[in-house]
Amino acid sequence: MPIQTLPQEVASQIAAGEVVERPASVVKELLENSLDAGASFISVKVEEAGKSLIEVVDDGAGIPAGELHLAVARHATSKLRSAEDLFHISTLGFRGEALASITSVSRTTITSRTKDAASATRLRIEGGIVGEASAVGAPPGTVVRVEDLFYNVPARLKFLKSDVTEKRQIDILATRYALAYPHVRLHLIQDGKPTLQTSGNGNQREILAALYGADIARQMLEVYAQEEGLGLRGFISPVALTRSNRREITLFVNGRPVQDTALTAALLQAYHTLLMVGRYPLAALFLSLPAEEVDVNVHPTKAEVRFRESGKIFSFFTRSVRKALMAALPAPGMDGFSSEWGQPKWRNLDRDSAQPTWSEPLRRQPAVDWGEENAPPPEPPGEAPVQEAQAPVFQQPRVPSLAAPILRLVGQIASAYLVAEGPDGLYLVDQHAAHERVLYEKMMAQHLDAAGQPGKIPAQALLQPALVELPAAAARLVTEQLSLLEHLGFEVEPFGPGAFLVRAVPVLLSGMDAGAALRVLVEDFEEDETPLQSELEARVIARVCKRAAVKAGQALSADEQRALLHDLEACQSPRTCPHGRPTMIHLSVDLLERQFGRRGAR
Amino acid sequence: MKISVLQENLAHGLSIVSRAVSSRSTLPVLANVLIATDEGRLRLSATNLELGITCWIGAKIQEEGSTTVPARTFTELVSTLTDKQVDMNLNVRTQTLNVRCGASNTDLKCIDAQEFPPMPVPDLSDGIQINVADLKEMIQQVAFAASTDDARPILTGVQVSLNGNRITLSAADGFRLSVRHAELSSAVPNPVSAVIPARALVELSRIATDGEQVVTMILPPGRSQVIFRTRDTELVSQLIDGVFPDLVQLIPKSYRTRALLSTASFLKACKQAEIFAREGSRIARLNVQAGGEMQPGTVEITGQSEETGHNQTVIDASVEGSSQMIAFNVRFLREALDVIKTPNVALETNSDTSPGVLRPVGEESFVHVIMPMHVSN
Ligand SMILES: Nc1ncnc2c1ncn2[C@@H]1O[C@H](COP(=O)(O)OP(=O)(O)OP(=O)(O)O)[C@@H](O)[C@H]1O
Ligand SMILES: [Mg+2]
Repeated sequence: MPIQTLPQEVASQIAAGEVVERPASVVKELLENSLDAGASFISVKVEEAGKSLIEVVDDGAGIPAGELHLAVARHATSKLRSAEDLFHISTLGFRGEALASITSVSRTTITSRTKDAASATRLRIEGGIVGEASAVGAPPGTVVRVEDLFYNVPARLKFLKSDVTEKRQIDILATRYALAYPHVRLHLIQDGKPTLQTSGNGNQREILAALYGADIARQMLEVYAQEEGLGLRGFISPVALTRSNRREITLFVNGRPVQDTALTAALLQAYHTLLMVGRYPLAALFLSLPAEEVDVNVHPTKAEVRFRESGKIFSFFTRSVRKALMAALPAPGMDGFSSEWGQPKWRNLDRDSAQPTWSEPLRRQPAVDWGEENAPPPEPPGEAPVQEAQAPVFQQPRVPSLAAPILRLVGQIASAYLVAEGPDGLYLVDQHAAHERVLYEKMMAQHLDAAGQPGKIPAQALLQPALVELPAAAARLVTEQLSLLEHLGFEVEPFGPGAFLVRAVPVLLSGMDAGAALRVLVEDFEEDETPLQSELEARVIARVCKRAAVKAGQALSADEQRALLHDLEACQSPRTCPHGRPTMIHLSVDLLERQFGRRGAR
Repeated sequence: MKISVLQENLAHGLSIVSRAVSSRSTLPVLANVLIATDEGRLRLSATNLELGITCWIGAKIQEEGSTTVPARTFTELVSTLTDKQVDMNLNVRTQTLNVRCGASNTDLKCIDAQEFPPMPVPDLSDGIQINVADLKEMIQQVAFAASTDDARPILTGVQVSLNGNRITLSAADGFRLSVRHAELSSAVPNPVSAVIPARALVELSRIATDGEQVVTMILPPGRSQVIFRTRDTELVSQLIDGVFPDLVQLIPKSYRTRALLSTASFLKACKQAEIFAREGSRIARLNVQAGGEMQPGTVEITGQSEETGHNQTVIDASVEGSSQMIAFNVRFLREALDVIKTPNVALETNSDTSPGVLRPVGEESFVHVIMPMHVSN
């Protein structure tokens, strides 16, 4: 074939493919346009999973009659003047491409009226061919009606997922935006049935229920943090509430949904060792930062962003989440006995969410200048610490700190639990979980050398190598991870198919059978699990510690019991074992008094 | 049963047998001590089914009989009796033992002796005579190296082998081994070998008092039991089934570095290093430096922890072969040096990843092997 310039429609269809790959992308672009237009009410109507109709109605600023034909032209935008402007984008749109793309692969009618115009203007575009504008009667705002999406690109239509999937995508997308913009009233109607209706009153927890269900929404913990122009708000799941994948993690940066693996990693980092291996939190988090700190122009559908000072932002992110998590992670109290632990605390947070701190900054227009203008007023110099102390997490009284209280040993019960007295009551410590935590932190510390670089954990050589035979999957894992195992103190040598010789074991495990120690590390990793290297290390170490820790049912001498409490106090995360179970239960003096009827309910 | 005994003897006998009393058992009678008249003496027995201990004390017997007395109550009571003589009288029908001593008068609820597990009656004639002092020293040098982990039960035992004139005790826990030989006064007709729980041997060395010359060891055929008998005491233990590893084959035959040093100085240095190594992984680093023409060699022992600090001792040593750095679990070193009786000890090594060997200098009968720790520098 000779080289030739593509016809206009073909070229724009190809370009459209970048922006509009499925009905949900159309919903996203139109929603963003309405939000950019400052709408306070947006209604989205979808028929047949968006294939026959997507209609978005808003009460925003509208498009002047004379500019309507420009709105659908490629590279035409009202949101950007110069290349310079690209570095502090405060609107969701900036490319001037969305409408051009959408209209080139559908039959679209745009009706729009600005506040001061006498009537609305309507324009019909079919497969990129722009029709004649006409004046019609309509209220101020914009209606974009997209019919027969992909009618002229049958290949695209063929590759769409099932209607159920596409509908669900649209539901999730709209709900996430609703959550990010709680002051915008948002309605979604699919095939005549309302699937999302927000009131626009700013209450995010209401919207959270639409995303996760009422029960889960109630348990979600609130995150609120401000620091040097950075802001983080939103919700995270308590450690007892997890999923087996990362799908329920929603992240927004400056009002824009992003799929950022680094930010997700920063989130997971905050949960590090608090969750069982292979479990992930739920989260809906909204990060705001000055527009010039983030480059949004790096991905065709804007799903990714680039931070100028990523290290600072990730550490702020992790720290803020961790703080919120820890505040809600006291040793579970008596009222946590019957329910899942960790749960009872949400009520505190719920009450706090009525405080102005959370909803105030959002009352104004969200996406626009979220990071700058709407950040809480700058603190007077010198008062910073006080300001921080007013963040909701610190306002909750009686939230124990992250550190373990100083504990005085009382004794051991059932050869499984230590009874200890703390400054604020009684603590029951699970000896196995506590020892696991102690070993885990010791081993992680050994594993990093003085310079913080991964080093070799001291290994104790065996008199006679232990022969271990493993099933295929486990054997493969061992073979692939020989050097990691060696770092962790296991000196293992392949010895025929599926068989290995263990020549040395980590010192911490020298009390147990070498073969069993290796086996437990690798045997029940799921087949398809390919954890990241760093994650794998932590997981393997967590497993090692689980095996090495004293068992329930093991009688400990008083000295051993005291040493365990002492070591636990020295831990960085003393309240949970590396798999996320609690190490201690707290019964406050207050609670004891009430239980014994010495004092009435307060 | 109607008997009189000396309070002192009874208290002593109870203290010996009470170690075999089962503290947690579903069989109530195992919490009791059997008392029975036995050929002019009073027999006290306790068992936890794995280990049984019997002690005979002198008694004036007016009426033969037997019963089982709650061990704890009885021991506590007897220890507080102040008069010399204790008179005991059993009401067989009610199984109540009346205990009188001076002004004290007690009725104890007992359990019928019929319910007590029968103790074996050994045939002493095919017993092996072992010198008590030798046996106690052997146990002390070997039993500590046995494993305390039940994952490999065979390693929780000590192998006792008899061959001709020679008795050998050996034990290993996977990281270290101890082997000790001794001579028997008379040869055994056939070589025999048994794996005895280390705990049982430790009890044996506790109850076999130095006053006695010999202990008789009996391995009743087909019973998977061992019986040790002295004049006044008897210990019965179950044997551990299984194949005991050939430890002798694991002892290195040669060395590249051999350091001779004072046992006491080495032990003291290890104890100091352990204070600091305790916090971490119990690592003691040894730096064996060959000496020059004029100056002696040295062994430097270092213990260190993030929290507590750093300790180092340099000991003069006569070093044969090349210099060597090697790391050991400091507890293993200390426990081995603790049982070496000679003034000097030899440490033999081949590399920092092969076993270290400790031998008492001038005493061929004992050897201890410790596997090194692999540490990054
Ligand atoms: N709902 C609306 N209300 C008011 N103006 C709108 C609306 N939708 C589109 N416009 C106008 O049309 C222009 C083109 O919209 P389009 O979505 O194609 O580009 P954009 O939003 O500027 O950039 P992007 O391609 O990144 O979305 C916008 O710049 C805006 O001026
Ligand atoms: Mg747009």
